[in-house]
Amino acid sequence: MKYLIPAALAAVAALGLAAPASATGKMTCSVPQKSWKSQDALRAALTKQGWKVTKSKVDGGCYEVYGTDPQGNKVEAYFNPATFEKLLVSRRGKILYKAPAGHKH
Amino acid sequence: MEAVLRIWNGKPFLWTLLAVPGFLYLYRFWTGTIPMDLVPPPGEMSARLIIFALMLTPLSMLFRGQRWIAWLIRRRRAFGVTGFAYALLHLLFYALDMETLDNILAEIGAPGIWTGWGALLLFLPLALTSNDASMRALKKGWKRLQRLAYPAAVLMILHWVLIHDGMAEALLHAAPLAALEFYRLIHLARDRSWRGHRSQPI
Repeated sequence: MKYLIPAALAAVAALGLAAPASATGKMTCSVPQKSWKSQDALRAALTKQGWKVTKSKVDGGCYEVYGTDPQGNKVEAYFNPATFEKLLVSRRGKILYKAPAGHKH
Repeated sequence: MEAVLRIWNGKPFLWTLLAVPGFLYLYRFWTGTIPMDLVPPPGEMSARLIIFALMLTPLSMLFRGQRWIAWLIRRRRAFGVTGFAYALLHLLFYALDMETLDNILAEIGAPGIWTGWGALLLFLPLALTSNDASMRALKKGWKRLQRLAYPAAVLMILHWVLIHDGMAEALLHAAPLAALEFYRLIHLARDRSWRGHRSQPI
């Protein structure tokens, strides 16, 4: 029995190395995928506007970007994947910008 | 075989084993993984080890006299101290990701952030006194000091719950400890009332 414990610990440690990913529900977009532009195009457009993009991915059908906005805030931001409209900018849960309600995304 | 078991049972082996994920995180950093992606793994490892270390006392009440629990309790320091070391690694990658002190200070008031700092600050004196010399120097105060681990663990779990979409995983990890602490409280309460009914010492 006691020899099993380090083995069990190793198994737990191995589990810890796998990172799951899933939709967070912070923002959802329902844009047909064939109208999406690439994430690279979004990164390029944002860089031009003064953003520094650390990472981008898809979340809830939107493009989610981590980086520094033109004002110098480290933020998490959501964009419409077809129009690149800015939908939500937040910093650790604090909303810094939200697109006006009624916008279709 | 005898020699293999001796190494397997030796404390250096456990410390080394517990350090392995840390070297993997550093290797990933070295090979180009961005700091942002390396912030969560050591944080989660830290929480796992600290939760495990805290589970040992109630587990020993549940499995009184069993050899395996005694084996683990003799090694509790390894779990607690490596758990703290992973918190420092977590902080290092966080600082690298944030890039500037201004960025760190800008978000320090966020509930998901200050709870993490709070947990780290509470665990710091515990890690620093996790050695035989401190135990001898602090005498009874040592145990009282180490009880800070409970509020620190609560802050740590809150930090995980509140930060970045971690709620399900955080609660899943906290559940066994919460259940064991609940058992411990019931056990202690029952023990006390049972003793209260006896006028004669046993």
